Order: sequence, then C-alpha cells, then structure tokens
Amino acid sequence: MNLRLHIWRQAGPDATGMLKTYDVANVSEHMSFLEMLDVLNEDLIGKGEIPIAFDHDCREGICGTCGMVINGRPHGPVAKTTVCQLHMRTFKDGDEIYIEPWRARAFPVMRDLIVDRGSFDRIMQTGGFISVNTGNAQDGNTLPISKINADHAMDAAACIGCGACVAACPNSSAMLFTAAKVGHLGALPQGQTERSTRAMNMVLQMDVEGFGACTNHLECEAACPKGISVEFIAQMNRDYVASVFGGRD
Amino acid sequence: MRAFGDVWRSNIFQKWVMALTGLMLVLFLIAHLTGNLLIFMGAEHMNEYGHSLRELLHGSAIWLARGGLLVAFVLHVWSAILLTRRNRAARPQKYVKTDWRTSTMASRSMALSGLLILVYVLYHLAHFTLGTVHSQYYAGQTGWEYTLANGTVVPDVYRMVIASFQEPLITTLYVLSMVLLGLHLNHAVASAFQTLGVTNRRISPLVRFLGPVLGIGVALGFCSLPLAVIAGLVH
Amino acid sequence: MELKSNTPNGPLTEQWDDYRAHLKLVNPANKRKYNVIVVGTGLAGASAAATLAELGYNVSAFTYHDSARRAHSIAAQGGINAAKNYQNDGDSIFRLFYDTIKGGDFRARESNVYRLAQVSTSIIDQCVAQGVPFAREYGGYLSNRSFGGAQVSRTFYARGQTGQQLLIGAYQALMRQVGLGKVKLHNKQEMMDLIVVDGHARGIVSRDMVTGKIESFMADAVVLATGGYGNVFYLSTNAKNCNVTATYRAHKRGALFANPCYTQIHPTCIPQSGDYQSKLTLMSESLRNDGRIWVPLKKGDTRPPDQIPEAERDYYLERKYPSFGNLSPRDIASRAAKEACDDGRGVGPSGLGVYLDFADAISRLGKDVIADRYGNLFEMYERITGEDPYSVPMRIYPAVHYTMGGLWVDYDLMSNVPGLFVLGEANFSDHGANRLGASALMQGLADGYFVIPYTLGGYFAGGKLDSVSSDAPEAKAAVREAEEKVKLMLSINGKRSPTSFHRELGAIMWDKCGMSRNEKGLTEALTRIPELREFWKNVVIPGSGAELNQSLELGLRVADFLEFGELMCYDALHRNESCGGHFREEYQTEDGEAKRNDDEFCYAAAWEYTGVGSKPTLHKEPLEFENVQLATRSYK
Repeated sequence: MNLRLHIWRQAGPDATGMLKTYDVANVSEHMSFLEMLDVLNEDLIGKGEIPIAFDHDCREGICGTCGMVINGRPHGPVAKTTVCQLHMRTFKDGDEIYIEPWRARAFPVMRDLIVDRGSFDRIMQTGGFISVNTGNAQDGNTLPISKINADHAMDAAACIGCGACVAACPNSSAMLFTAAKVGHLGALPQGQTERSTRAMNMVLQMDVEGFGACTNHLECEAACPKGISVEFIAQMNRDYVASVFGGRD
Repeated sequence: MRAFGDVWRSNIFQKWVMALTGLMLVLFLIAHLTGNLLIFMGAEHMNEYGHSLRELLHGSAIWLARGGLLVAFVLHVWSAILLTRRNRAARPQKYVKTDWRTSTMASRSMALSGLLILVYVLYHLAHFTLGTVHSQYYAGQTGWEYTLANGTVVPDVYRMVIASFQEPLITTLYVLSMVLLGLHLNHAVASAFQTLGVTNRRISPLVRFLGPVLGIGVALGFCSLPLAVIAGLVH
Repeated sequence: MELKSNTPNGPLTEQWDDYRAHLKLVNPANKRKYNVIVVGTGLAGASAAATLAELGYNVSAFTYHDSARRAHSIAAQGGINAAKNYQNDGDSIFRLFYDTIKGGDFRARESNVYRLAQVSTSIIDQCVAQGVPFAREYGGYLSNRSFGGAQVSRTFYARGQTGQQLLIGAYQALMRQVGLGKVKLHNKQEMMDLIVVDGHARGIVSRDMVTGKIESFMADAVVLATGGYGNVFYLSTNAKNCNVTATYRAHKRGALFANPCYTQIHPTCIPQSGDYQSKLTLMSESLRNDGRIWVPLKKGDTRPPDQIPEAERDYYLERKYPSFGNLSPRDIASRAAKEACDDGRGVGPSGLGVYLDFADAISRLGKDVIADRYGNLFEMYERITGEDPYSVPMRIYPAVHYTMGGLWVDYDLMSNVPGLFVLGEANFSDHGANRLGASALMQGLADGYFVIPYTLGGYFAGGKLDSVSSDAPEAKAAVREAEEKVKLMLSINGKRSPTSFHRELGAIMWDKCGMSRNEKGLTEALTRIPELREFWKNVVIPGSGAELNQSLELGLRVADFLEFGELMCYDALHRNESCGGHFREEYQTEDGEAKRNDDEFCYAAAWEYTGVGSKPTLHKEPLEFENVQLATRSYK
C-alpha cells in the first residue's frame, strides 16, 4: 500500500518543530508500524537526509519505550496496543497518517518523536517503592495475600510507564500512571506502612513536574496499552485525602 | 499533617473542593427545581412556598442558605480557575490532530459552560431576586401583591414567572442556559464522585449513569416552566 | 595467564557460608568513600546498584535508556526458579543445582551454580517484600508451576510478565536510593570504553546520547551488567538496543571473553515475514504442551494447511523422538525445524517456518479450554500475523534468545581485570552451555542482590586503591580515542547504512554460527566477517556527534559486533564437540544427538584480545565436577 505521512520533525529540545510530509510506497501489511518507519529511515539515509528519531526497544509491547500519537491517538487506533505491536494491516492504501510526539510540558521533546519522560522517574523517587533493604525479608509465604488482592495489585502493576495516559489526557495529567503505582503497592499488605505518605508525596511531585489535573475524561484508560482502570485514580483520590487528614510526618 | 500550603496547592485537594462544592450546588438545584415545579400546582402553592422560605427560622434560614451558596459558588469558581490554568499550562503545544475516544465536547468545555452559567446566574439573580433587570416583571413591585388563603399578603412570584416567560428574550436565554447546565452536570456528577473516590468496579457504572440522568432531568425540569407557559398550560 | 576461579575450599554446600564468614569487611564509615560505577539497570544492574547504595557505597548507575525501568529483563515472560520446595514435590537446593549443571551440559563451574541455587530462595523473599505481585493460590500462598520440562514445580511467576514485575521491583529499590541521593543515575548515557589504570578497572568513558558529550567517570570499581550479545545475529528476540559494546570494550581492555559460542535458540518464535523484519517475537514454550508440530511430507508443497491430508504430513518430532515428541528440549526442537526447512519442506511465504497445530487439541478439549490456556498468546499471534490460530495452524521458527557466554569471572564475579565485576547475562558463569527456562531472572537477581554486595566489599577491604581522577593519562587517552572513533565514523560518508551492515553480519552469523555449525561454514565466516569491516570505508551516518543521533548510536554498536562476530566463530571453531547451545554437525551421534567430548573440552574457553582481525589467545579454565557425575542426556 502507499501512504502519506505527516511527521513531526524537531531538531532538538529548543528548536522549533513542524510537520513534514513523506510519501511511502509499497508498504507491506505485515510490517509493524515501527518497521514501516525503519524502511522510511533507511530511505532517508540513502538520500543523505537525517532519519526520523523515535524511541523503541523491545518491540513486543512491554518495555514502554516506544510511543507516538498516530492520527490523534497515542499508540494508534487499536485499543490495548503499543505502537510497536501495531501492524500496517490496520491502515489502507492511500491513508494519510499524522504522527506527533507525546505532548506535555512534563515531557519535553528531545528530538522529533522522542520525549524525555524523566518526570515519571522523579515521581517514583518520591514514594513509588516499599522501603525494604536487601536481606531483611521474611519468608515469602509468611504473609498470605488473598488471590483477589494479588490480582488487583497485578492489574495496576501491569503499567509499562510509556506515558500514553499523559499523551491522551486533554490536560496532560499523570494521574493514571501515579495511581497505578499507588494502587499496586496499596493493594498489598507490605505497602500499608507507607501508604499515606506515598500517595501524598507522589501527588505533590506530579504537580511539581507540571502535569495537569484529572478532570475525569477517562481518555487515559482508553489509551492505556495495558488497560489499567481509572478505578485506581478514585482509590488514589481517597488515599490522598486520607493522608491529608490522617497522615503524620 | 503536611504543611497546609502544599496540600492546598495540590491538584487533588483543589478537585475535592470543586467536587464537594459542586455537589452542594447540585443539591441546591434539585431543591430549587422542586420549588419551581410548584408552579404546576397553582399560584397559591407557589406563593406560599416563596413566603415560607423567607419566613423560615424567623427569616434567617434564607440568609444562611444564601451565605452557604455564595461560599460554595466562590470556591467552585476559584478551584475551576486554578485547575483550568494548571491544565492549560500542562500542554503548551497542542496536537495538530486529535481523535478523542471517551471525552466529549461537553466534558472538555466545562470551564466555558461554567463561565456561561456563571454569567447567566448573575443575570438570573438580577432578574428574579433583585429586580434590577426586567423590573417590569418584578414580583416585589407595588400592585403585584397576592393574598394567601390564610390572609397573608405576599409578592406574586407566580405572576412574575408567567409574565417573564412570555417575553421571548428571557425564555430563549433561559432555555439555552438550562441546556448548558444540563451538559455541565452530565459530566460533573460522575466526575465529582470519581474525584471523591467513592467509585469502584461495582458502583462506577451506576455513577456514570447518574450524570446524564441528572443532567437531562434538571435541564428538562427547569425548561418545563417556560415551555408550559408558552404552551399556555399555566397562566 | 592462569585463570584462578577463587572458589573457596571445603565442601560445595559450605563454600558460600564459609566465604561470607571469613570475608574482610569495609568499615561502615568508610563505605561512602568508595565510588562504584554500575553500567546497565536491568535485573542485575538495578538490584546491584540499589543494594550497594543501601550498604553505603557511593554508586553511579548508567543506562542508555530514558528510564532505568526499560532494560530488556522486562521482556522475560515465564518466571523465576527458586528452590523453595513450597510444593513439597522433592525440590531442594541440590536438585536445582544439579538440574542447572546438567541443563548446562556440564560446562559450568560447580561452586557458582551451587551458590546460585542457595540464594535463589532469598530472591523470592526479597521480591515479595518489595511488593512484586507474584501469582497466588486462593489460600493466599505463592503459586508455582513447572517450567521448561523441570520435574518439580519451582517456578514463581506474575502472569506472563514476571520479568517486568521483578525489574520494576528492582527499579523501585533503585529509585528509592536515587531519591535518597545515594545513587546518581545517568540516563541516556552509553558506555564507550573501560578505563584501566595500573591494571585495575577505574572508570568508564561514556557518551551522553542527548548532547553527544563524551566524558570519563572514575570510580574504585566498575560493575558491568550490560546483558547478552544475541543481537550479533541482527534478528533475535532481544530488544533492538541490546548490544555487546560494553563487554566487548572491556574485552579489548584486557578482560577475557568466555564461551562466546554458547547461544540459546528458542524454538517457538513467530517467523520472519519480510526483509524489513526488525526483530523476532517469542511465544511461550508452553504452547508445545498442546500443539503438534508438522511440515508437509513433500518438498515445496504450497497447499494451504487444511488441504494437506493427514497422510501427507510429517509430525517429525513425534516421529524422531517418540517419548518426548513435541516436548523435546529447545535445542532439539529448534534443529529439527531447521532441518525440515533446509530440506525444502518449510512453510509460509519465506519457507522458514513449521506448523504448530492446535486442531487436535481443540477437537479433544474444546475451543474454550484452549482459549483459557493460551488465549493471550493466540491473541498476540493474531495481532502480529493477522491469522487466527484457532482456525489456521500457527507458523513458528526458532530464533536466538539468550547467550550463555560472557566475560570470564571468578567466584567473586570479578573478571581477570581487578576491579571489573560482571553480573547477569553479561558474564559466563552459571549456565554452562545451555540455560534452563526461568533461570535467567534468577541469576540476574542473585548476582545483584546477594553476591556482589559481599564480593565487592571483599575486594575493597583486600587492598588500598590510589585515588585517580579524570585527569589521569589513561582516562584522557580513552576519552580521546572514543572521540576520534566518533569523528572518524561521521567522516566516512559512504554508501551503506549501519543497519545494512548489521543485517548482513546477522545473516552470516545465523547461517554459519547459528543453530548448527560446521568447520567449513565457520572458516568461511572468518573470512567474510573481516571483509564486512569495509564498514569503516563505506558506512554513512547522517547528522553530527553533538546531538541525539540514533544512526551514530547504532553505528558504534554495529562496529563492535563486526569484531565480536569473529570472536564467536573462533570459539565455535575451536570447540570440537557439541554441547548445549553449541552444535557442531561433525560431532553428533547417529541419531543426531549432540556428542560431547569431556576428555578434551571440559573447560571454559576464555579468549584474550590480541588486536582487530588477529586470532585471540585461548586460556582454559578446567571444569572439575566433584559432586555430580557427567551424564549424557537422551530424549529418545
């Protein structure tokens, strides 16, 4: 199939960017979206042009490195899919495709489609963990955890940190990402000790990074490649307020 | 407890303020609507209701309610301004192309619908409560007294409503604003419950259903007045 | 050079306890005076960096990713082994040790493997405490499954995302230390060289991938946890950015590279669909529990699978290995698939594929049961290929999955260069010639959480190190070399992209040094790979070195693969036997089984760098087995 691509090109963090148009021919329907871009890049290199920079790594939908907004949707039109797992059979001959980077103040563009998601790491650093040093642990089976709670924790822990939730949110809010971590650790007995300070500190850091507030559009849940539920956001809202009135530190 | 400044500035706290004050305003709307619907029971009931509101607790109840409403309204608007500014700043560069999945025009323009409703509310107060606009229909004017069955003389609110809604400008503004209010509530109600964290897998579907029901219910309820007046059902 | 394993004396079962009991310690007040560089933030690197920081060392961690959470450990699906014996089914530390040694075809060091089995149980406890959501039974206790043909259920798992969950556990521990200011994390930094001062590893040269700045970072010890070299084949199940540069650069600075020819091939991957293919996707081996593998009997049979009658199908695994059938070990199943395709009976557009057919299982058990067992895998297959495996047989083909070889290390996980420690897949230590399923995660975390924190302290306590700064002549020279290399690469301005060289190298490696090897092919590869180093005359890298430049990153990695491939072939050529992940066609039994030669090759082959294009020098670490009997496996 033949396609017309409009791709965001930006030489560096401070450069001005713009959409540039590329025509690609003979795209196989079996290609992944990233392989289609690989082929275009090889072409550009052949012509002495600078290839399009985009982040990617595992190409099996788990590392969370890849991500771009395709025709207005993070990771493209297919639900619960990362862009590396999106295949060209989703498109048809003659399609025009707009490709843009994640847009958020907290995700500055580094080059073309690559953004810096260091803000996620900094949110994690303020409380996205259980404070246990290596070697202090009791036997794993001394603390039974109901299957329901373990499964619930796993639902939240499935987050791959790709940032699609932020990209999809009309407010560039990082609530789903943060709530997934608060929800994962909060669902487990090990996570109770720091539950209140965790919610408080992570939420405040989210604000410091310049993410927007949640206004409950639920776009994040729809864009999440792992289908993480906004239920975890409600949970974090509860935990946060509990920490305002109950937390001691 | 964390330093109050931090907590106050955090987005979740501001949203709690918005949600709680919003729900208070919704309760007020329901009460207001119930009162308005008395119009279908005739002038006696409506005017007596208006009178009893002013007399409750020796006249202090209405001022308490007005004070509470004012605080809720101010806080609601204040948090809306802070959150809207924060959200605008969070995405300095917009997408060239968007394709929303779950959000609606209404949910994305809460600030705008809120602003328009605010303007309307001020106009509405000036009209019905203060009589500074459309004063020719003001119930408090001389000659518009109504004598209740128990002999008390009260302003004829019933007449004011009917007379006002016979004016096309008033009716058009009213209906448009109620549609906006409906759209605002449509997103607001479920959103408030989510913000307050009372949703979960079991009750979320119910809560998500509540928004449209309340939105449409309130809008239709209020609009039934001018429509009934125009249709001549009440006169 | 004599390779000293530094295995403690005494009986196997007491070595590690004894080692720790007599370890020299670093005074707690002095720990913060020691600087440690950890390169890589996968399971081994993140766990090591976090744990060392908890102990009080000054840690700098480096990753080429934008976040420490993205390392390829994240992609492991199946699980992690531990000798917990929660199932009461006869597991023990010794059994896990024995299975690992035997699975590795008796080419690993006993002492290291025993220690691995010993600490395996602590890993699970540690991960549970961190909040890793392992699968649980209804009673709330940890769930186990049997994996990769093991006779006991010792594999712990978290849905199909075990690697991800374990990595996030380690990443969380690392983030905590970063937040506390005890780890300085360098994202988007790629190691370009090792700095050796007075024979000791004292720092690294690293390139900032955003600004292009090349600089040196100095320390008292360097820990490499930079993963395997499977991407030398271009197509593998490894993530696209996995590369050999860090370990190969250390090799060029004197570290010995051991057993590079041991590569593991995974039989159930989705076949390549075209030339543009960028990587291969692995599907869980569990599919072979219910799927039947076959190819057409006739060569070049292009009929769709449903039109090939039963009598014209060859269920070759069931035919050749009646007792194990479709569940034959990874290497056997892989080679059998290759043979069928080489014979012209492969299926799919490329002819490189075999059918994995669920029709029988569906008619026997019903579609619902199959969907319950493999639903997510079927979905993944359909997403990638566009075919519905409930109605059309899956097509599978083997792919490179894991590399057992790596930098040579002693019992302390220290290479022959003092102060250079190597963890996880980057070292050669625990899996011998072949790795058991669910053991990679175990090794990475064992090295990082429970081994390096002791052995590194022992190194520091063992002798005083002079202070060195970035002004040391060795550091300056290494930085200059790296800068010149970048400059040279950018100035070539030839005709071919780095990817085209990589792809060509991969094809040679897969063809000549892949699933099965022979002398002729390896010799041929040893002439063709040096020719491919015309890279240095004909590569084109657009853009500059002072910006985010992905072509340059790739070019630098491919340049190292182009030398490393040769090393692999030398190793494969010298090892005149077949064992584990190394199958030499000349050395097989009449039934096509691997034929080991314990008399001549019961050693780890550690290679010393002697210059580009020059044959490396072989050093042997003899392997002595005092606690197990060398046996030959049979799957007939």
